[in-house]
Amino acid sequence: MTDRRLWTEIAAAVVLAALCAWGLPLALQLYALINATIYVSMAVLALSLALVWGFGGILCFGQAAFFGLGGYAYAVAALNFTGTSWAVPVALLVPAALAAILGYLMFFGRISDVYIGVITLTVTLILFNFANSTAGDEWHIGAAPLGGFNGIPSTPPLNMPGDPGTPLAPQQIFVVAVACLALCYVICKLVLHSKFGRVVVAVKENETRAELLGYDARLYKLGIFTLGGAMGGLAGLLFANCVFVSPTMFSLFYSGQIIIWVMVGGLGTLIGPIVGAIVLQILTTWAGTLRDINPSLILGVILMAAVLVIPRGILPTATTALARLRRHGAVR
Amino acid sequence: MTALLATDNLGMRFGGVRAVDGVSLAVAEGELRCLIGPNGAGKSTFFKCLTGQYKPTSGRILWRGRDVTGYDSFAVARLGVGIKTQIPSLFDGLDVMESVVLAVRRLHSEADSRRRALTALERLGIAALARREVGLLGHGQRQLVELAMVVAPEPDLIILDEPTAGMSAEETSRTAALIRELNRRHAIVVVEHDMQFIRAIARTVTVFHQGRVLIEDSVERVLADPRVRDVYLGKPVTRAERAAS
Repeated sequence: MTDRRLWTEIAAAVVLAALCAWGLPLALQLYALINATIYVSMAVLALSLALVWGFGGILCFGQAAFFGLGGYAYAVAALNFTGTSWAVPVALLVPAALAAILGYLMFFGRISDVYIGVITLTVTLILFNFANSTAGDEWHIGAAPLGGFNGIPSTPPLNMPGDPGTPLAPQQIFVVAVACLALCYVICKLVLHSKFGRVVVAVKENETRAELLGYDARLYKLGIFTLGGAMGGLAGLLFANCVFVSPTMFSLFYSGQIIIWVMVGGLGTLIGPIVGAIVLQILTTWAGTLRDINPSLILGVILMAAVLVIPRGILPTATTALARLRRHGAVR
Repeated sequence: MTALLATDNLGMRFGGVRAVDGVSLAVAEGELRCLIGPNGAGKSTFFKCLTGQYKPTSGRILWRGRDVTGYDSFAVARLGVGIKTQIPSLFDGLDVMESVVLAVRRLHSEADSRRRALTALERLGIAALARREVGLLGHGQRQLVELAMVVAPEPDLIILDEPTAGMSAEETSRTAALIRELNRRHAIVVVEHDMQFIRAIARTVTVFHQGRVLIEDSVERVLADPRVRDVYLGKPVTRAERAAS
C-alpha cells in the first residue's frame, strides 16, 4: 500500500469517527446511545481479532479472555485507586501481559495452529470458571469485591482527566469509545504498514520462508498477539463503562461471537470485522425483542446464509461488487 | 585456510534409521559444490540439517570455524546463508516486489531494499513480474522469484535444494547458466540428482549413498567412477569399497 493511500484511508476513518462522535449523541436517545457504546466496544474487540487472526494468522479462540481481563483489571484498579487515571493503563497492561506470557509459551514452544485454538479457548474457560467461583467476602482484591457470578456491579465509570470527582456522562463515554475505536484502527493501519507488520503478514503467508530469510517468526507472532491482547483489554474497559464487569465477559458465547463477527465482516480486512460486529450486534438486539421466535435461531440462520452466500465476508464481497459495477460502467 | 562451511562427522537419526551418518565435508569461499546421490541417499536430510530445519543428532556444523550446530533456520540465514528449497517456498499472497523487498528489509532501509530488490529482479530477468501476485505465477517463474529472494541480500553462501525440480530442459539449461553466473559472487552448494545438470555446472562433486559420503572428487572423475554408476543403478557398494572411499 502506498503512503498516500494509507494516509487517505486514515484521514477518512478519522473524519467518519469525528462525525459519529459529534452526530450520534445528538440524534440518539440515551438508551440507544448506551447500546451504541456497547457496539463500539464490540467493534474494538472484533478489530483486535481481525489483527491477530486476519493478518497474524493466529486463530485465537480466546480473545474473550483479554476482553474480560481488561474489564476486571479496570474495575479492580478503579475501585482501589482514586479516579480512573491508573485504571486505564492497568486495563491494557494486564491482558497484554497475559497475552505475552501465553504467546511466549505457545510460539516459543512451537505449538501448532490447532492447539493454539484449543489452548486459548481453554484459558478463557478457566478464567470464566474462576471468575464464577469468586462469590463471597473473602474474594476481593484490595477494596474491590470480585462478586462471583454477579461480577462487579459497582464498576465506576471513567472520570474527567485530573478530576476524579467528575465521572463522564454516557454521551462523553460514547465519544471516548469512538475515539478509542478510531485510534485502534489507525494503530492497526500504521503497524501493518511498518516493517514489523509486513513481516507479520509474511509469516502468516509462509512461516518457513520468513525464517529462511532470517526473521524469527516467533517474535513477530508474539508481538502481534500481545498487541491484540492489549486491544482486547481496551474493549473490555469500554464495555465495563457501559454495562459492568461479570464472568459472562469470559464466556464461550463471546469467544464464539468474536470469530463470527470477523468471518461475516471479512477476514483479512480491518473495516470488515468492525462492520460485522456492529451489524450483528444490532441484529442480536433486534432479535432479542421478538417474542415468538428464539433469537439464537435467527442469528444462526443469518450466519449460515452469510457463510454460504458471502463466504469472503461483507466487506470483500461489497468491494468486489463495486469494482465490477465500476468496470461495467466504464465499458458502457 | 578455514572453510566457509564445514560439517564434522554430522549425523541425523530418525529412530533406528540413520538418514545422515557421519558426514564430514568442507566448502571453501567462492566454491561451487554439488551434492548428488540417488533417492534416499540422505541429501535432503543433510540439506535440512545445514539450513536449521533439522537439529543433527550427532556431529558439528562449522561456519568459518565457529560451531553453529543446532541453530534455527533464521539464525542460519543471519550468518549470511541464502536458502532455496526444492518446492518453491514463497509468499503467495504478496506481489513479487514486496516478497523480494522483505528478503532484504531486515538488513537495509526501505529505499535501499527497494533498489536492491529491483537489481535482483533484473539480474534474474523477471523485473517485468514485479507487480504480479506470486501465487498466480507459473512454476518456472516461481523458481526464479525464490532465487531472487535468495540472492537479493547478497549472501556469502547459497544452498539450493534441487533447483531444477519440475523444470523443462530449456529452463534447466538456463538455470545452469544462472548458477554459474551466481557463483562469480557467491559460494554455492547445490543438492541435485540430475546428472546432466551436474555435468553442466559442477567442478567438485560429493556423492551421497546410504547417508554417507561415497566419493568426493572432480565432476569428471566422479561421473567416470563405476561405484557412482552402481549406486544410481541400484548395485550395492561393498564395505571394502566404502572403506576405500
